[in-house]
Amino acid sequence: MPRISRNWLTLFAASALLFSACTSDDDDGSAADTAAAGDTAAPADTAPAGEEGGGAAGETLAAVQEADVVRCGTRDDLPGFATVDANGDHVGFDADFCRVIAAAVLGDATKVEFVDVATEDRFTALQSGEIDVLVRNTTWTATRDGTEGVTFLQPTFYDGQGMMVAADSGITDLAGLEGGVVCVAAGTTTEGNVATEFERLGLQVPEIQSFDDVNLLQQAFQEGRCDGWSSDRSQLTGLRSNYPDGPDALVILEGTFSKEPLAPGVRDGDSQWAQAVEWAVFATIQAEEFGITSENVDQEQESDNPSIRGFLGSEVEGDEGAAVLDPGLGLPTDFAFQVISQVGNYGEIYEEHITPLGLDRGTNALWTDGGLLYAPPYR
Amino acid sequence: MRVLRWVFQIAVVGAVVGLLLVLIGNVRSNSSELGIPTGYDYLDNPAGFPIADSDFNQRQPVRDAIRIGVINTLRVSLIGIVLATVLGTLIGLARLSQNWLLRNAARVYVEVIRNIPLLLIVIFAYAGIALVLFPRITEPWEPLGIAIISNRGVVVPWHDASGWGIVAVGAVAGVVAWLVARLRRRHADRTGTPARSGLWGGVAFAVVAAAGWLLVGADVTLPELAGRGTTGGIRMSPEFFAILFALVVYTASHIAEIVRGSIQAVPRGQAEAASALALSGFQRSWFVVLPQAFRIAVPPLGNQYLNLTKNSTLGSAVSYFELAQVTSISVANGAPAVPSYLLTLLIFLAISLVLSLVVNVVNRRLALVER
Repeated sequence: MPRISRNWLTLFAASALLFSACTSDDDDGSAADTAAAGDTAAPADTAPAGEEGGGAAGETLAAVQEADVVRCGTRDDLPGFATVDANGDHVGFDADFCRVIAAAVLGDATKVEFVDVATEDRFTALQSGEIDVLVRNTTWTATRDGTEGVTFLQPTFYDGQGMMVAADSGITDLAGLEGGVVCVAAGTTTEGNVATEFERLGLQVPEIQSFDDVNLLQQAFQEGRCDGWSSDRSQLTGLRSNYPDGPDALVILEGTFSKEPLAPGVRDGDSQWAQAVEWAVFATIQAEEFGITSENVDQEQESDNPSIRGFLGSEVEGDEGAAVLDPGLGLPTDFAFQVISQVGNYGEIYEEHITPLGLDRGTNALWTDGGLLYAPPYR
Repeated sequence: MRVLRWVFQIAVVGAVVGLLLVLIGNVRSNSSELGIPTGYDYLDNPAGFPIADSDFNQRQPVRDAIRIGVINTLRVSLIGIVLATVLGTLIGLARLSQNWLLRNAARVYVEVIRNIPLLLIVIFAYAGIALVLFPRITEPWEPLGIAIISNRGVVVPWHDASGWGIVAVGAVAGVVAWLVARLRRRHADRTGTPARSGLWGGVAFAVVAAAGWLLVGADVTLPELAGRGTTGGIRMSPEFFAILFALVVYTASHIAEIVRGSIQAVPRGQAEAASALALSGFQRSWFVVLPQAFRIAVPPLGNQYLNLTKNSTLGSAVSYFELAQVTSISVANGAPAVPSYLLTLLIFLAISLVLSLVVNVVNRRLALVER
């Protein structure tokens, strides 16, 4: 049970807030240099204190390039999104978006340092600079935007909360859970949503028991501690597919009772880094819209469509001297090519990790197919 | 030389205070730069999470969640202290028994339990006992038809406490018991007969409490199965059971050693003198050895009580919502980490200081008056 020690990681991460200024005092010279460089690159109104907390404009991108690795906050226990395989590598939808960011920023999808953070520690880890970006099925909410010091970017997955019960329990709807017990993961938006939904339906709110550790939750559920297991539908689907008694022992009830846009997050106050991460995500969506896959990306570089050539960072014909489009995001001009060739477009990532769980695209289809995925134009 | 020493001490204090100020300043500037609030305004925000085994819902403020956390910490600590003392004393006495089996059984218990990390005992008590050994709610044990035991909790009949009536009854009974005990002691001083103040006081308490309880209504609610849960009675959740069980079992192994050591620390001559005065075995223990042993045991017992209280934070491993778990979850729901943990540290400090104050008072009253 390594989770309990991670529970207290918050404390250590919080103490990083205490000491972070001390460490940056040590290399006064280089900190000043970076700030000066930032002044020329972007009109940064960096206050003198600003450069120390790790949240200043332009700081993170430069730091990531300097370290030549993206520290990506993720997890190791959610099938489909992020688990660790037999070789110790992180696999899954979220893990691949970490790779997307590394491919875009550093040109190499393998330059990711996966940092497994517990649910209740994830924002503290981001605030304290332990990670550069958080890609860990995190719901974008107003309160988190406002008080957790995190900026949410383009959602990678539009989810909603559902309820799972044992197949032999005879429960067919939420009303069947009245007077029962619902287990949820602690420190998530899920916790409050359950009670809210029962109240909305005018039902008696069941007892809600939360668990820090999803494995302990699963054991408690198996032993009959709870009647319902509530979480995002994608999570429930992943957990169901890996359930020890087989997926058929569980039933996910009809109905979605919340909006859960799962979005990557970066520290507040660094718009350059935020833009870089956001456009890395957009690139996967735009590539699918263009029909560019990891298979055909090499041919598409020579595409007749100038938009595609511009997107992939190829020379755009028509311009004298065949110029390459650089939108000034601080990313290499061929970042989209690197993302698609090394990881794939959104559809490929989805099909590799989410489709096997039995979830169809639904709201996560392109806008052209009636879904919500829509990338701003790259020009 | 004297001046130098003063200068040195002032310099050390100054350096420590200065370092603290720098750290506090760092937190404030780093936090405000990240847009994280540093004050305690968050205490009035809605908590955003429900707490199992309580009436708390997610719209109530964080302040109320913390209050429930404190109550839960105190609940498991106080009940744990009482039970651990009883169990520890029994095992400590068993360690000194003439009976070979009893003596060695107690010894094995102490040596095994005290050498296992408490966290493992907590998790085992939950995942290995509370969840697995107790039956499912669909087929509960109903001993004598008055209790319902399942892995959703142990439910027993309870007074339908709807107010202060039962508290008042308890207080009155306590005062009466104290008066009766005092009268018995006075009587004993005058006549020389044995006081038996404990017995008389206990009986008086029981009689008055029973009479008062009948007077305020004697409402008992019996647990009943209701759908997928139970109604009525009082319920001990499996999470509470797990952390309480683990704390009691673990701390008792340490208390047993304290009890054994304290008894053995009473000089042999005391027991021999008691025997020479023809006191019986019981009288020798009860009037001569144990009072002196108790005096020796108080300070280390106090340490164990403090440890037990602080160890109750391991309840978070099994989702028991004591103070540390409430803090951790409220931080996950938007409360700022540094002020939240600072508040938790201060509350634990306050609890510990009160506890050690009580132990110190007891210790001072028991200490031999030396002239």
